[in-house]
This record gives sequence, structure tokens and C-alpha cells, in this order.
Amino acid sequence: MLGRLGDWFSDPTRWSGSAGIPARVLEHLGYTALAVAIAAVIALPLGALIGHTRRGGLAVVGVANGLRALPELGVLVLFVLLLGLGLLPPTLALVLLAIPPLLAGAYSGVAGADPGAVDAARGIGMREHQVLLQVEVPAAVPLVLGGLRFATLQVIATATIAAYVGLGGLGRFIIDGFSVRDFPQMLGGAVIVAVLSIVVEFVLQGLGRLVTPGPDRLRLRRHADGPPAPPVSPSPAPSSREVRP
Amino acid sequence: MRAFGYDIDQLVIAHVLLAVVPVLVGLLVALPLGWWAHRSRPARRVLVPLSGALYTVPSLALIVFIPVVLGTPILSPVNVGITLTVYTVALLVRSVAEALDAVPDTITTAAIAVGYRSAGLLFGVQLPLAVPVLTAGLRVASVSAFSLVTVGALVGIPSLGTLMTDGFQQDYTAMVVTGIVGSVVLAFLFDALWLALGRSLTPWTRARTGV
Amino acid sequence: MIEFRDVGKRFADGTVGLESLTLTARAGEITVLVGPSGCGKTTSLRTVNRMVEITSGSVHLDGRDVAAADPAELRRGIGYVIQQAGLFPHRRVIDNVATVPVLQGLSRREARARAAEVLERVGLEAFAQRWPAQLSGGQQQRVGVARALAGDAPVLLMDEPFSAVDPVVRVELQDELLRLQADLGKTILFVTHDIDEAIRLGDRVAVMRVGGRLAQFAPPDELLAAPVDDFVAGFVGRDRGYRRLGFVPATALRLVDLPTRADANGSSGVPEEWTVLLDGAERPAAWLGPDGARHDLGSLYVTDDHDAASDGAGTLRGALDAALSSPAGRGVAVDGQGRYRGGVEADDVLALLDRGRETERSVARPGDTRR
Repeated sequence: MLGRLGDWFSDPTRWSGSAGIPARVLEHLGYTALAVAIAAVIALPLGALIGHTRRGGLAVVGVANGLRALPELGVLVLFVLLLGLGLLPPTLALVLLAIPPLLAGAYSGVAGADPGAVDAARGIGMREHQVLLQVEVPAAVPLVLGGLRFATLQVIATATIAAYVGLGGLGRFIIDGFSVRDFPQMLGGAVIVAVLSIVVEFVLQGLGRLVTPGPDRLRLRRHADGPPAPPVSPSPAPSSREVRP
Repeated sequence: MRAFGYDIDQLVIAHVLLAVVPVLVGLLVALPLGWWAHRSRPARRVLVPLSGALYTVPSLALIVFIPVVLGTPILSPVNVGITLTVYTVALLVRSVAEALDAVPDTITTAAIAVGYRSAGLLFGVQLPLAVPVLTAGLRVASVSAFSLVTVGALVGIPSLGTLMTDGFQQDYTAMVVTGIVGSVVLAFLFDALWLALGRSLTPWTRARTGV
Repeated sequence: MIEFRDVGKRFADGTVGLESLTLTARAGEITVLVGPSGCGKTTSLRTVNRMVEITSGSVHLDGRDVAAADPAELRRGIGYVIQQAGLFPHRRVIDNVATVPVLQGLSRREARARAAEVLERVGLEAFAQRWPAQLSGGQQQRVGVARALAGDAPVLLMDEPFSAVDPVVRVELQDELLRLQADLGKTILFVTHDIDEAIRLGDRVAVMRVGGRLAQFAPPDELLAAPVDDFVAGFVGRDRGYRRLGFVPATALRLVDLPTRADANGSSGVPEEWTVLLDGAERPAAWLGPDGARHDLGSLYVTDDHDAASDGAGTLRGALDAALSSPAGRGVAVDGQGRYRGGVEADDVLALLDRGRETERSVARPGDTRR
């Protein structure tokens, strides 16, 4: 099987044309970026606003948890049956699936900002929009990025399934391969989409560390530029590791 | 019960078995691995990133890999089961390790002081205290397992997902909706079950909030 | 000057935060609100910068009703320090401190220059480029104070600012606040649940009881000497007599002569009684006991130290501490430079205290109407 997989990858026709691997990878990334971007435009401001006012938080968590139970395949199929073929219906389904993690990330990030810092921000005379933008949103960055990563991975995975309802992208290799029982092609598609997911996750993690404000970024930069500075905070309490029977 | 020319009972049973068995097996596998990651720093350095990477692999890809790696037949439900087991383990290894980490030092020290040995400490003190975190992880794994089982229908493995694929082929919306609703209802039912189970195992957490 | 005029606060759920508070915090003084939790002290403080909106009465800041001001503008003119500092974790220390000047309209450069100045004043210039998470609790709290000072506001609101740090650091922070206040002369409203802190810091202390009612408003020594009722007496504590010594000047205290000897000749013979060994600069180094051994001096009584923050300087408490902690049964008195001045006897301190109590009784009772 592995030999046949090698043959599949080394076939030069796999690497060119609109059904070639590079084109499918770009397609897949394109769908993903489009769906995540639309979902982010909807979910991030909404989540931040709900987090700031702290009203409706329970509803957000409830909806986010509820939507997680939705079977991606069913949602895709339903959207296409109701709205027809083409790019739009599956993209809408992907957007719907990407919204809960983004919404939850923005909401819990903003609502979880240090209450002392928020109180101090108001107390020194920040207006509400300044409190949100200067204190709560920066505090939310790690959780928003977590939500973004989760949403992106979920969309990459679901976009693979979306080949079943006629979308392009890397799922084509798996779905088309299955329909003609071409196992090397299925396996090749699976390898590519797995590698793509891991690479995207890695890149997003790195980007996240770069844009996270505060000491994390500092630590990263210090590691990159030279030896880490001596710790200034008191050393952590001895862990349970040291008191074992 | 029959509908749309399908034996719904059979699909439901297949769906439940394919979702629940892997989640439970995954929990059993994750417990020792998580404990290992909790005890050993090198183990954690390998296990946590590895499970993170496994978790990022899309389900359809994983379902295709399994037969190649394990030599199972391509149409076997085992592929879906193992895929979901892998996800559950990937998700729970870290939860278990962090749950064990989170047991306060004072409690571990006190347990050692009153004479607990390693095994007694783990099963008598650390694991019970980790139950709330474990339950939370198990619930996440379970809910996503119920939705991911349907993906198996794309490679011919029966579940409520079959109603989605076949409904799509027959352009039959009601059939698809039945599949979705059934899958969601099953996910919620079992979610409630895990929640109740977790609560019944940790009566002390309710005593605290009840005051 | 901060004036509370019949201030009442009823929360949305119907609970009464403040009944009817009337109180004036004088300009240039530290006014401390102290009381058990739920007494409304924090609510009172937060009405001044309108973090809490009152439901009756009025709060005036230098004669102007705060209700008339725009809340954000009002707050930019009032320093605000809270428990655990509330620093912005994503901004370096210097930018945390520069936040208020920026809000006041200064350019980022000017604001940073101002922040650097303030950081230097509180001795934190070395930490300017650190992140808050890299500081100890005490350091974070000092940055919080610096941030409040950076706006150059004449009024400071401090809400349990030192409650989250350990007792040793707390005393350091209190000393520092007193030192800053001696320089700056701000009008400070300070909330705490710690009566010791209140007595240490307050020019005047308001003891509040649950429901936002004022039990007694008086300078600390008066609070200790003449609590108006059992609630205040209980809150002030059983050892108030001893603590009060810290406010009684020991000007009338007689210093006794002690046998002294230059430390350089210390080993020449065993003295008949306890002898103070002095170093080349006339500073006490140790006791030389009748047993021929050197003994620790115990705490020293500083007679005329001008640093008001030094505990017990020039007060009966310092004198008593010195007498009781000395192995010789008599304390050693030194001046502000640490030079030997004489000895203090515990009996003399107690005699002075007795005399003070008699004169007080004749003064304090008629003053009972003060509430």
C-alpha cells in the first residue's frame, strides 16, 4: 500500500492543473480562510460586547455547547439540500460551525479580564469603549486565539467532508477515491490534509505567541535574542513531585 | 422502528455503540497515559504535543489511515471506533495530567503523611479529586464523538449519518433532518448521563455549594 | 476637601449600603474609613468618583457636587488605588503609570516622562520596563500608587490598597505612603478593615458600623483614649491602651544616667552592674552584664527622630518597648543620629501614663457628644 501511495505522490500529473495537489491545497485554504473570516467578523465583536456587558453570557455558553453536538456532515448536507449546490451553501455551513468557538473565546476572554484591572480602568477615568479596547480586549487575546485555532481546525476538517456535497479542496481526493475504490488516492488525500492541519496549527500557535501582549511575548523574544533573564518573581512553590512516597 | 426504508433502531444502536465504546475505551487508555505524563516530565513532553497533533488530524483522514496502519478492512466500523478512541485519548491525556497536577499539594502531602502508598494515593485520593475535570473532558469527547460517528457514513459505515448521506442522494430533507436531530438528541442524552455519573461520584462538591 | 452630605445608597436589590453618611475629609489629610465588612466603607469611597451612584444626599469635592461632573472627567482628576493594584497585565510598568496622563491628553512621550518621574519618586525606576506579572505583590501595589499619583490629582482614593500583601511588606508600604504624604500633602480617603492600619495612617479615623452608619470620627489617639461606645471599643481592641502609647509624646519622660564604657576597653574587667558599651561615635554597641558577657541592646528608644514614620519615636510606646526589651531592665535612649542619650525606666513610663489618664478623664468625658 505504501508503495502505491508513493506512486500516487510521484505521478507528475498530481502536481499540476486545477485538480492537482497544489490547486486543491489552495482551494482548501481559501474555503477555510473565507469561512473563518466571515465567522470572526460576526462572532468576535458580538462575543466581546456580551463579555463587556456580562449580559447573556449563559446563553452564549449554552448555544456554543449545543452547536457542538451538531453533526457537521448533517449540517453540510442540509444546507446544500435547502440552498442548492455551489460555493455559498457549504461555506455558510462552515461559518455556522466556526462561530461557536470564536464567540465563546471572545466572550470568555473579555468577561475573564482581571476585574481589578477593569475596575481600575474605570476608576482612573476610562470611558466604556476605552475599557473594552484598552483593557478587556488585550486580556482576551489568548482565549480569542484559542477559539480561532479551534475554529480553523474544525473548518479544515469539515471542509474535507464538504467534498461530499460538491465542494473542491482536499476532500475531493478522499471522496472521489472512495467512489472508485482508488485507495492510494484516498490515502494521499488523507496524508495531505493531515499535514496541512498540523502545519496550520503550528503556524497559528506561533502567530499567537507573537501577538499576545505581555510577558509571554517578552519571554519568547528573550529566548530568541539571547539567554533568558533571571526570574524576578518569587520562585514557584515546590510541586507535589518533590513529596512523593 | 422503520422509516424512510431504514431500520432506525439498528442505526441508533450502531450510532450509540460507535460513539460510546470508543469514548470509554479512550478514557481507560488515557488514565495511565495521563498519570504517566503527570509523573514524568519527559513523558509529558512527548505525550502532550503528540496528542495535540493527533487531535488536529481531520476525522475523515484518520478514518482512512486506520486500515493502512492496522490492516483492518476499509469498510469496517472498527476504523471509526479506533478514530474516535484516538480523539478521546488525545483529548483526555492532557486533562488527566492536569487534573492530577491540580490536586493541592497539601492534600497529597497529608495523604502521604497518614501512610498512603503510591497506588492508594492515586486511587484513594488523587483520582477521586480529579473526577470533576475528568467528567468535563469526557463530556466534550462524548459530544464530539456522537457528531463524528456520522462521518463514517461517507465510507459506508452505518450510523444515523447514513440517513444524511442517503438523504442527500435521494434529495430527501426530512431524512437528513431526522439524522441530525437523532444524533443531537443522543449526544445530549449521554451528556446528561456522564454529568449525572460524575455528580454521583463526587457528593462532596455539592455539599460545598449547598452551604 | 471631600464632603459627604447625608449620603445614602440603596442598591437595586433593596439592600442599604449607606444610611445617611455625613463626614468631611479635610484637605491635605489622610482620612481613614474603617469598619467590619459590610459596613459600607468601600461604597462610601466609591461614591466620590462615582463608581457607585448615590441615591440620596450629595458628595462634594472641593465644594463642587460630583454629580454635576462627567464621570470619566471626574475620575481623571482623582487618584484611585485598589486592592491587588489592578494593574493592566499587558502594559509595562511605565505604561501602566503613564495611562492617566495619556487619558488627560498628554502625548505618549510626555506621559512617559511624567510616569518616569513618579516611578523615581516611589523608588521603582529600575522596574519601569518590567511587566506587572514580574513584580512582587508589594511592588505591584507601589506601581498602583504611582499610577494614581501620575495624574497629579490633589485627591487620592485608596480602597484597601495594602490588604493583599504580607504584614511586613504592608508596614513598609504604609511607611512609604506616610513619607510621600509628608512631601505631597494630598487629600487622601483611605479604606481599610485593619484598625492598626487606620491608626497608623489616619490623621482622622472614621469607624463605621454595618449599614453605613458612622460610629465615631476622631483622630486616632482620641479613638484609643475615648471610644464612644462598646462597638468602637470592641473594634479598636483590648490592647488599645498599649497601642495608644504610640501617640503619647514622651517629652516629660526623665532620662536616667547609665554606666557607660568605651567598647574598645569592654573586656577590661567585669562591671558591678549593667553597663552600656559605646563605640567610637558614642553609639551604643551592646550591654556588658555583671556576668562579664556582652548582651543584645534590645530595642532602642529614639528621643527626637524627625522621621514620623519610625515607629514609636519620641513616644511612650517607644520608651516602654526599649525598657521592656532590654536585658538590663532599663532601656537605652539614643538621638536621631543613634548617639547615646541616657536610659529609660519602665516605671517612669507607667507613671507618666497614669498622670496622662487622669488629665484625660477630666477632658474626654464632656467631649462625648462628638459623633
